[in-house]
Amino acid sequence: MKGYPVIKGASYTLAATPDMVIYNGTTQTTERVVNPSSEYLVELPKHLRSYEDVVSYIPNQVYIGNATYEDLAATEFPYYDKKWNDAKEDGKFGCILPEDEFYGIMHICDVFELVLLENGFAAEIKEKLAKREWFTDEQLESLLKNNADETELQRLVTEEHSEGLYIGEKLVGVVKRAHDVDVNLSAHVMLENLVSKASNVVSLIELKKKNNFDPASVEYVIDCCEEACGDMNQRGGGNFAKAAAEIAGYPNATGSDVRGFCAGPAHAMLHAAALVKAGTFKNVVVTAGGCTAKLGMNGKDHVKKGLPILEDCIAGFSVLVSADDGIHPQVRTDIVGRHTISTGSAPQKVIGSLVGDPLKAAGLKITEIDKYAPELQNPDITKPAGAGDVPEANYKMIAALAVMNKDLDRAGIADFVKQHGMPGWAPTQGHIPSGVPYLGQLMDDCKSGKVQKAMIIGKGSLFLGRMTNLFDGVSFVVQANDHQVGGGSATAKKEVKICKTANYYGTKIAFASEGSEHGEDNIDLAVELAGKKGIEAIVSTGETAHKEMEAALADGTAQAAVTMHYPFPIGVSTVGKVITPARGKAMYIANTTGTSDTDRVAALVKNAIAGIIAAKADGVENPTVGIANIDGARACEKALKQLKANGFDITFAESARADGGVEMRGNDLLLGTADVMVMDSLTGNLMMKLFSSYTTGGQYEAMGYGYGPGIGEGYDKLVMIVSRASGAPVIAGAMEYAANLVANDWKKIADETYAAAHAAGLDDILKSSAPAKAEAEEEEEDVPMPAKEVVTAAIPGIEVMDIDNAVKALWKEGIYAEGGMGCTGPIVQISEANKDKAVAILTKAGYIG
Amino acid sequence: MAILKDKHVIIIGDRDGVPGPAIEECAKTAGANIAYSSTECFV
Amino acid sequence: MDLENQKRVLNISEEFGAENVVVLLGASEAEASGLAAETVTNGDPTWAGPLAGVQLGLTVYHICEDEIKAEVDPAVYDEQVGMMEMVMDVPAIHEEMENIRKEYCKYL
Repeated sequence: MKGYPVIKGASYTLAATPDMVIYNGTTQTTERVVNPSSEYLVELPKHLRSYEDVVSYIPNQVYIGNATYEDLAATEFPYYDKKWNDAKEDGKFGCILPEDEFYGIMHICDVFELVLLENGFAAEIKEKLAKREWFTDEQLESLLKNNADETELQRLVTEEHSEGLYIGEKLVGVVKRAHDVDVNLSAHVMLENLVSKASNVVSLIELKKKNNFDPASVEYVIDCCEEACGDMNQRGGGNFAKAAAEIAGYPNATGSDVRGFCAGPAHAMLHAAALVKAGTFKNVVVTAGGCTAKLGMNGKDHVKKGLPILEDCIAGFSVLVSADDGIHPQVRTDIVGRHTISTGSAPQKVIGSLVGDPLKAAGLKITEIDKYAPELQNPDITKPAGAGDVPEANYKMIAALAVMNKDLDRAGIADFVKQHGMPGWAPTQGHIPSGVPYLGQLMDDCKSGKVQKAMIIGKGSLFLGRMTNLFDGVSFVVQANDHQVGGGSATAKKEVKICKTANYYGTKIAFASEGSEHGEDNIDLAVELAGKKGIEAIVSTGETAHKEMEAALADGTAQAAVTMHYPFPIGVSTVGKVITPARGKAMYIANTTGTSDTDRVAALVKNAIAGIIAAKADGVENPTVGIANIDGARACEKALKQLKANGFDITFAESARADGGVEMRGNDLLLGTADVMVMDSLTGNLMMKLFSSYTTGGQYEAMGYGYGPGIGEGYDKLVMIVSRASGAPVIAGAMEYAANLVANDWKKIADETYAAAHAAGLDDILKSSAPAKAEAEEEEEDVPMPAKEVVTAAIPGIEVMDIDNAVKALWKEGIYAEGGMGCTGPIVQISEANKDKAVAILTKAGYIG
Repeated sequence: MAILKDKHVIIIGDRDGVPGPAIEECAKTAGANIAYSSTECFV
Repeated sequence: MDLENQKRVLNISEEFGAENVVVLLGASEAEASGLAAETVTNGDPTWAGPLAGVQLGLTVYHICEDEIKAEVDPAVYDEQVGMMEMVMDVPAIHEEMENIRKEYCKYL
């Protein structure tokens, strides 16, 4: 296994659930038990925020990716009385959604008929959710099943121990208990678990939508929330992971749950990174939904101080961890901190074990980590509750440790906190703030070069479970990609030397390397070989490779692109370039992929034109054209000859075989008799693979320049195709081929050539390319056979389908003829005496050119 | 007179301040009897 | 303060006598320290737990206060609390604790 696992995508989502604060947050449910008439419960509803206020709350906008932690740092504290001007529900990393839709998602997530919605409400939510395009039709339809009217819902709450789902005062749904006796399946527990699942599902859906990867490629999902699911015989039986991935549409994943209180996500990230690093799985998702219990947890303090209830959202997050792609930030699986059993609970011991020890072991100073992401609780929530500013306290401790380690001067503490820290923006949903909220922005920070190394720190209060008094935590370093895919552990960015004296110096080519069968070493070598010619390859890998390649082409960063597959439109097909074995001569194969026309003959003619364009643009001044001796070759020859007769500049090659002709035999292919060898793209594709890999035994395409540029009328992108089996020399060859086309202004040559072809009557010629057959069909009359005679002369060049008609056409004129198959294809045989006359007749009738 | 010596000490630590067990270690050296130790968590 | 903790404070005070009990706090801020100190002296100010309306008047200190630090083995103190002492606003915590003690402590 090569390279470190990468963080390829992250999503962050919030569901604004003000009514769940009242009915499900433990601070409130406890208060209702111990002090039902308390002033707090009366005051609380007045402090709930509107949906708009939740959306415009700056920390929430940072969470979903519409603002950055720097924006938050620039915001004067406190945050609750300010709004983000450009606030949106949809963000770069995820979204904020309202309570009613969230109830609908809970219903979709429920597969045991436990969630019932009010009939009308369910129909309304179905419409709303349909607009998001998150769910299948079947899932949306399920919203209309298993519902009830309000009276029944009310009965379920008062008589059946169901938990109500409210919008304001209105009861719009219930969660029923799943068992009459089992407390683990009580309505309360089921609601908590379904909320966790539903918020997890939202994040998993946003992960795939916002990061453009194939969810079918995900093999394993790890849930790291703080809930437990199972009945009384297996209270923490688990697998929220698989349950959520099922609904969210990750068909090939299995999964499991990792628990560690607030440190859960950091532990889960280590699990995922290790699974990927070991090569067990290529794509692992770490994911978690939020919890109702913590809604309004510090509400009493917020209400007392006249603040809004700031803990009013169910949060979720998902992170995709994948095999190294040479692009995304890497998880340093070898720089990991652990709070161990013997570490103790003294703060300096804790921070020492999580920060000092792993960095020391890796030979890094504390100041060499650009950003620390400890628990990123939003201080707007914690400070009024007397819990202080948690991230800031952590930064101060890390700074203090740096002072103790002599990495930092005591006077530098305040600066350290500012430079290496960030203000917290995460909702206090327990495990959610566990360092991971930074991963999305970290991807951006690494991309922009702002951050080279960051440390993610998760901490957990194990003593809350009453099983141990121990504290816990793990940490790991994430670094900007070292571009050493193939090199194993790395310390420095690998330099690709670009030869400044080479012909193509300054040519930049976007290379989507995704899908190679020969691994990352092959890609590296290709880039190096191209570099020696002066070509700079901009390599993209993974699922986003094509997107990045397209972007580089579109914004002019690259002048051409090389890729292993590309959806060319009809009308565009590729002209490959091979080295022929007999004399080592280069030959263009027109064409090798794509469809230049749906009509076979028209396609061959257009391939010939594309071949001429490619050869000329590659520097062949007057390319010779031969037509491989395949079905349709004669008709193609006829059309091309007509084009030439009408003034289109084309030089025909002559077969090296004794009988000559424009039709090229297998011998001519090996000899490279023609510069441009015309054939249909299926045959061309076959030829490409033969010519590229015959020296290696087949699997590794080692020779030539690949499948070539997509050429078609009006097509102005230069996209070169190589194969997944293409070896480094072929990929580098494709880049060189592209660089030549760029240098010779291929686009201008293409435009001029197409214009000349049209001027020579291309359209009419193609229209009439099979007239003989059509006319012949009309003449389906009984033609009497002339007297049989010995036929020794042959007329080639007739389409096999037209042979019978051609024979009859000759019979009609009193010439005895027989159809046959000559060594170069179908022929009409006649007597030597009749040959000239027969040629004239067939030419006139359009059977031969 | 010492504050802690021979007294029954109740410790209310804080996850994000000084946790209970850390305070316990300190109080023991002062000759206190640890009656109860816990750590609160606000997050 | 957590309800379970309030219950334990009440029970221990009854068992050993309030005059023999000292409460040590580790809260990260002055305000939270003050609230916890008020709870074990004047009763739960949020009126939610077993100490609501119960004025135990217990002796209460924050671990970072000089009075306590003076009684603890310096090496142990440095190891267990040294770093948090750097991070926390000790003077503010001390001031808050002093105010509570002056007002509500019965056994100083």
